[in-house]
Amino acid sequence: MRSNLKSMRAMILKEFRELRRDHRTMGMLIGMPVLLLVVFGYAANFTVDNVPTATVGPQAEQVAQQVEVIAQAPFDVVEVDPGGNAATAEDLLQRDSVDVAIDTGQQPPVAYIDGSSLFTAQTSIAAFNRLGDQVTVEILFNPELKTSWVMVPAIIGLILTFIGTIITSIGMVKEKQTGTIEQLAVMPIKPSTVILGKILPYFLLATLDMVLVTVLGMVLFDVPFNGSVGVFAIGAGLFLFVVLGLGVFVSTISQNVGQAIQTAFFFLLPQILLSGFIFPLEAIPWGVRWISYFLPLTYFTMVSQGVMLRGAPLDALWFPLIMLAIMAVVIFTGAVLRFRRNLAPGDGRRSKPKVSA
Amino acid sequence: MSGPLLQAQALSRTFGAFTAVDQVTFDVAPGEVVGLLGANGAGKTTVIRMLLGLLRPTAGHALLNGNPPSRAGRERLGYVPQGLGLYAELTVRENLEFAAQAFGCPPARPEGPMRETRDRLVSDLPLGIRRQVAFLCALQHRPDVLVLDEPSSGVEPLGRARLWDQIREQSQRGVGVLVTTHYMQEAQQCDRLLLMSQGRLVAQGTEADIVDGTTAVAVASDDWARVFAVLSAAGLAVNLAGRDVRVIDPDLPVVRELLAGQGIEAACHEVPATIEERMTMLART
Repeated sequence: MRSNLKSMRAMILKEFRELRRDHRTMGMLIGMPVLLLVVFGYAANFTVDNVPTATVGPQAEQVAQQVEVIAQAPFDVVEVDPGGNAATAEDLLQRDSVDVAIDTGQQPPVAYIDGSSLFTAQTSIAAFNRLGDQVTVEILFNPELKTSWVMVPAIIGLILTFIGTIITSIGMVKEKQTGTIEQLAVMPIKPSTVILGKILPYFLLATLDMVLVTVLGMVLFDVPFNGSVGVFAIGAGLFLFVVLGLGVFVSTISQNVGQAIQTAFFFLLPQILLSGFIFPLEAIPWGVRWISYFLPLTYFTMVSQGVMLRGAPLDALWFPLIMLAIMAVVIFTGAVLRFRRNLAPGDGRRSKPKVSA
Repeated sequence: MSGPLLQAQALSRTFGAFTAVDQVTFDVAPGEVVGLLGANGAGKTTVIRMLLGLLRPTAGHALLNGNPPSRAGRERLGYVPQGLGLYAELTVRENLEFAAQAFGCPPARPEGPMRETRDRLVSDLPLGIRRQVAFLCALQHRPDVLVLDEPSSGVEPLGRARLWDQIREQSQRGVGVLVTTHYMQEAQQCDRLLLMSQGRLVAQGTEADIVDGTTAVAVASDDWARVFAVLSAAGLAVNLAGRDVRVIDPDLPVVRELLAGQGIEAACHEVPATIEERMTMLART
């Protein structure tokens, strides 16, 4: 019994010593919970208290003033267009310029609400309901406010993040762990060929997964695909480069598969929580929200929801697409250059020495 | 190509304050089998990594076929790393095909014990076969230079002999071979030996050059365990060869005095040192 206790004590001591020196695990044990508590505590808010609103039609200016003073109403009028009509209102919503557009050219005025911003729509409906018959409410893009319609486009991005970051980093780091990267480095293959040859299969698999998940989402949950497949493909392609770049980067700072998974997890969790598909971006205070704008999933979600639900055209999605393009260039190039260092540490770049015969 | 295939010119490498390789100079000529010997941590693998261009030297130059190691230069190189560099989740045939495609040559046909295993996953194979597969992968493009890092580690004696036959075959074809090994029997098969200790090249030449007439003391006694204990306690480097105790410091009178002082009867005489003992001597200086 005594010797069992001693052995147990030795085991516990050994485990703590190992943990103390394993910075990544310690990060997950201590850093992550603290970070989650702080970020989650601030970000976990489904209540939207600021809804960008437009008023269009002949009474646009008067209605704009009235809307802003409605008690407990979240509306923030950002656009007033007296010359506009119902089509203008719909266009503003489709481009995600506003979440609510009130057409004052009809009697009673019609409040068009963007159903693809679920919580914003619910908050707006509640506010309009308090006005009784003064306003007619019409929900566009997701008339039944189905959660699945909003979630599926975002989940496509999440799945791509998972494959791109975790699976790619595992595939890349295995070369390092098993020592085959050394063999690749001495083979007469260009480092760029090695890197492309490693990444392309994951790119293709992730693309296949994306098509599969999108089609399944449409078939199983009746999620519409209102926009252009081409715009969606551009967004998804750019996003794939970003997440594959993250996967390559993770592999360059990890020595084995376990470390790669742990590290990839650090990149994955903030994207799940802060990219706006669980908590609406508008509801996250700026103290935390700024992080969201550094996350690629935030922009992919804007593109996928925009294209699939609102049918947003290319020029309406320029901002998320440009952000994804910048991230793709910076992250993918940086990661590939880091990986290249493993393959060609000093390929013929030294000064020519004296050659003895 | 008549000049050296591999050259280390005052090659040095430091990692922070630690000097892993210090001013190492040697070369490997065509058709020559050069053994790089040394204990773990002596700097052998670091030297190899610099010669292959996998690691930049802190000072000095590494040359492959007369030029700094480059992708083009490595086309004529065959390398078997300590970890073998095989894809465990591919079959033998798939590994051979991949390496052959990388070097732009037809894949080799596995022979001998490998033939039966060509469609099996490398992860399912015993270490000896895996080493043979790695060796074949490195040979199939008919390189001019072979660099083998511990190629026979963990291989049974018959497999080791077969491997050395292949190394000899290659050297007769004019291939220059640099091989690291822990096995002294294998070291004896090399044309020339390089002895590394604590990052420095402490001796080089044939086995006879390195042993250079140095001697050890052999002690025969019924009470060999006590002999071992007494001489070890006196700080002498000792090892056992059967029941004979061998003292690496070749000071016969001191050994006799120490044993007599403990009342131990033993027959002590000077014998030619083995290369292993010479290595220990050089490492202690």
